[in-house]
Amino acid sequence: MENFKNLPIIKKLGFNRIILVCVLILMYFLFSLGSGRMLGSGDIKNALNMVDYLGFLALGVTFVIATGGIDFSIGPVMVCAGLIAGRLLVTFGWPLWLVLIMCVVVGALFGVVNGILVAYMGLPSFISSMASMMLAKGVGSVFTHVQNSNWPASGAENSWYKYLVTYNGFPTGLVFLLVVAVICAILLNKTKVGRYILCIGSNREAVRLSGVDTRKWEALAYVICGTLAGIAAITYVGVITQVQPGLGDEFNNNAIASCVMGGTSMAGGVASIGGTIIGVLIISLLRVGIQAMGFRPDYQYIITGIIVALAVFADIRSSRRKK
Amino acid sequence: MQIQGNEKRGFANNPIVKAIGLQRIVVVLAVILEALLFSVLSPAFRQYATVVSILDYSYYISFMAIGVTFCLISGGNDLSVGTGMICYALAGGYLVQHMGWPVWGGMLVTIAFGLCFGVLNGAMVAIMNLPPFIATLCTMLITRGLGSILTGGMAVSWPSRSANGGWFRSMFKIINSGKIVPVGFIIVLFFIILMTLVLNKTKVGRYIIAIGSNKEAARLSGVNVIKYQMMAYIISGFFAGLAGIAYAATFSSSVAPGTGAGLELDAIGGAIIGGTSMTGGSGSVIGTLLGVFVMSLLKTGLPYVGLQANWQQIITGLVLIVAIYIDVLKNRKTA
Amino acid sequence: MGEVILTMKGIDKSFPGVHALDHVDLEVRKGEVHALMGENGAGKSTLMKVLTGIYTKDSGTITYEGREVEFHNPKEAQEAGIVIVHQELNMMNHLTVAQNIFIGREFMKGGLIDDQKMNEESRKLFSQLGIDIDPSEKMGNLTVGKQQMCEIAKAISHEAKVIIFDEPSAALTEAEIEELFKIIRDLRAKQLGIVYISHRMDEIKVITDRVTVMRDGGYVGTLITEECTKDDIINMMVGRVIYEDPKTHSAVPENAPVVLKVEHLNAGKMVRDVSFELRKGEILGFSGLMGAGRTETARALFGADPKESGDIYINGKKVEIHSPQDAVKNGIGYLSEDRKRYGIVVGKTVAENSTMASLTDFVKGLFIDKKKENDATKKYIDRLKTKTPSVDQLVVNLSGGNQQKVVVAKWLVKNCDILIFDEPTRGIDVGAKSEIYHLMNELAAEGKSIIMISSEMTEILRMSDRIVVMCEGRKTAEIDIAEATQEKIMHAATLR
Repeated sequence: MENFKNLPIIKKLGFNRIILVCVLILMYFLFSLGSGRMLGSGDIKNALNMVDYLGFLALGVTFVIATGGIDFSIGPVMVCAGLIAGRLLVTFGWPLWLVLIMCVVVGALFGVVNGILVAYMGLPSFISSMASMMLAKGVGSVFTHVQNSNWPASGAENSWYKYLVTYNGFPTGLVFLLVVAVICAILLNKTKVGRYILCIGSNREAVRLSGVDTRKWEALAYVICGTLAGIAAITYVGVITQVQPGLGDEFNNNAIASCVMGGTSMAGGVASIGGTIIGVLIISLLRVGIQAMGFRPDYQYIITGIIVALAVFADIRSSRRKK
Repeated sequence: MQIQGNEKRGFANNPIVKAIGLQRIVVVLAVILEALLFSVLSPAFRQYATVVSILDYSYYISFMAIGVTFCLISGGNDLSVGTGMICYALAGGYLVQHMGWPVWGGMLVTIAFGLCFGVLNGAMVAIMNLPPFIATLCTMLITRGLGSILTGGMAVSWPSRSANGGWFRSMFKIINSGKIVPVGFIIVLFFIILMTLVLNKTKVGRYIIAIGSNKEAARLSGVNVIKYQMMAYIISGFFAGLAGIAYAATFSSSVAPGTGAGLELDAIGGAIIGGTSMTGGSGSVIGTLLGVFVMSLLKTGLPYVGLQANWQQIITGLVLIVAIYIDVLKNRKTA
Repeated sequence: MGEVILTMKGIDKSFPGVHALDHVDLEVRKGEVHALMGENGAGKSTLMKVLTGIYTKDSGTITYEGREVEFHNPKEAQEAGIVIVHQELNMMNHLTVAQNIFIGREFMKGGLIDDQKMNEESRKLFSQLGIDIDPSEKMGNLTVGKQQMCEIAKAISHEAKVIIFDEPSAALTEAEIEELFKIIRDLRAKQLGIVYISHRMDEIKVITDRVTVMRDGGYVGTLITEECTKDDIINMMVGRVIYEDPKTHSAVPENAPVVLKVEHLNAGKMVRDVSFELRKGEILGFSGLMGAGRTETARALFGADPKESGDIYINGKKVEIHSPQDAVKNGIGYLSEDRKRYGIVVGKTVAENSTMASLTDFVKGLFIDKKKENDATKKYIDRLKTKTPSVDQLVVNLSGGNQQKVVVAKWLVKNCDILIFDEPTRGIDVGAKSEIYHLMNELAAEGKSIIMISSEMTEILRMSDRIVVMCEGRKTAEIDIAEATQEKIMHAATLR
């Protein structure tokens, strides 16, 4: 086994990532078996719809978890951005391109708020991001007067934003996500931002004593996260069309579960964009599979909860062994 | 300015003020101010019915918050109380509604569920050493899913006031020929006194404080830290069960699965406003009750001044941020 | 002095690579205060840890009250009557004094804790000790001195027969020390055996009956305090042969310019009015005993901790340093005593750690220029002879000496001219040690200026051009290497 792990090709791809892909394939067949039919293109399309927005959320929160923090506001922020932008588009008649940019701006603003709360004011990230989750939910519903935001349906005027998710059956959303994922991977591994974010998660004090402004870089992780939640809003409305206020917190948990499953450590310092994407695929397939097998979708909550607990437990165990 | 500062310090050192606790006085003032503000802004607020509705809100938040207070004092947290409360009430109510169980049986099951999840939380935190917020986040997810699964996704109705078994609603509110008597407050007070005793006068409470204050010192003093850390979560589970009953009895005619997420923040917020520290070791049950009133006044009062549920969320969020920031500053000063 | 209550004979203890205790003897009698002295790392704490069961001894015997004993944990020792009053207090700040004293053995009445009785018992204990503390006060509200009294009261409530004080006076004020001594004398009158660990020579003369001196894990001798002088004790503490050649004269040219000038630096209790100068190409040794405030001075200078006042001049120009960023901008690099916590990011690679302070220089466009980074890292791996298989090795896998070299590389890559080495050879094996020495000399010869904080006398005498001695947050001496002796330094380090 150790030998196998040390093969150059395995090392390059990452042993854990290979295991995860195997899990993904295995799950596909298990669900097919369980539901008594091969999961077809319809199911895959369903899964991909979820991947489209969940992916961006998970990518964003990967940066925050890499610093050793957490962000519970991403899902509601995404919904909030969708609501605000939708109302701007439909009620105020803003041009679509501007509205899409607004999605990202709203997300980034929440990121800035979270960054200030955590990095500059020193609040514990989990509780302060829960507070900003409330803010996001509230702001979203206040702005729309607790009405749904109805984005233009397919084929209607101003519906080209849907092409960002699918174009004549071609999954543009997946391509969009993968492109952003590649950018995130570069950002995390090849730039100063990513380097400092990872190092802060690993040993904040050593980085500070190297003369680095740790607060700035930590805050930036939350801004990146918020911005990606804003981008997620674009694909979210592309899939959902009709955005309801007050939703969004279930996406947090799925996004966080995707990260920890993909090998990003809750303790900070270790993060994998590729792992996160595979994690997102697994979580999305899980949802579709559970439905295909005729179970209530609520099973997903339980399974997600157990996955997170086990992943974090395994992470704690392995880091203790290293010491 | 200098003189003012001294006066302030003098006030804080006044023996009476010290005995009651400066923060508690501030919170009481905040509650009064809040009530006055709503009364001035909205004449409709000045009604007996409003008092009843404030109390109705306060019951289930109080119970959750009492439990969470113990977790916070132990240096942890419990995010699962909100969805947990709903899940336990669903489980108990399902047995009553669909299986013909007596109401008291359903109530016992509700509390038993709470205890079980308390044990689970405690085991994950104390034995498996998971960070408390992650461990309880997981049970938050699990209870949320489990609640719907147990009832097949349907809302559950506990017996209505007039129906057979409706007596349990009178535990919290007696309605007699149009007169409403909010007796639930007596139950809450009973538990406040009981848990104040537990916190200050029993080994359980003493060791939970000790663990939150300095876990290693407690361990070296021969305290079984695993057992007593677990105990904090079991207490929290028990009270989440009670909160479930209170929720079913007063707040809502039926309990819907999938709700409850976010309610834990009312409880955590109440506890922190009441002076319980996020970093463990200090806190009081009475303070928590006062903090809960800040939250339940907000919930009741905001609609009267034209701010609907959506504004409540924003204001809850802001209140929470301010409360935690004060706690952070307080700790920074002593550190 | 009464009969012997505790005898430790021929205690031997080795850790991997270190012979921590080499056949040490200690005898404590009833009704005596027995000082245990020695430099940092002489083995005093290890000996006490063996006694109270935290470590198990390799050989030797402990005889307590006439029979041979071996404790397996502090609780067993406590139950037998041997209690340590620690330097770092093990208290729960949120509980009251009485609650702390009786934690784990509360009095119960009707199922509830009887706080009143605990308060009364505590009051009795305090009046026994003749001290005035309110048992219902929260522990966190007391001064360190009062907290220590509580620890003593707790020890007595356990019916201790031997109490060990581990540097009890380090954090106390003069008045508190007086009170402590009064209590210790009372305890002595009650025929308790007391072990008193301290660096303060004057206190030793005042409070103790006998002195046992240790050096480098070995037993040197036991003196009767009344019959010896301060110098006798110092001679026993430092009387070691220095094998490596000590520096005999400063290598810094007469006209070397002053690169760093610190004036009246104040930061908390541990840095009081510290002033010194550092010249180009100089190695300035900072000597002193544990808790002298050397690390605190360095951290305040570096901006890692806030300072209250003080001026810092670099190359004659006044600079403002409020954060490590400011310090690094001004060309100061700090190598912490605690490498793993403050020096390196263990989970990252050699290259990532080497460029930590200067990453901006390695950014080309948007991206980190990995090739440039690797080249620079390689350059310093060669230059410092760091043993690492590649630049991509995680530093966690390197030995202590090589980790230290990575930290040095970090500051050299940043091109810092002033380097603060805080205990540069702590936890590093002998071979790597001389490499680090060699490196520091080389750097100084190249014109870098070095502040070296060290608790090892040999290191100070071997490396420094000039020596600043600190004691309790104050600079107590500045000695040119040509005139420095172990005795002189130790004298200044124990001035109080």
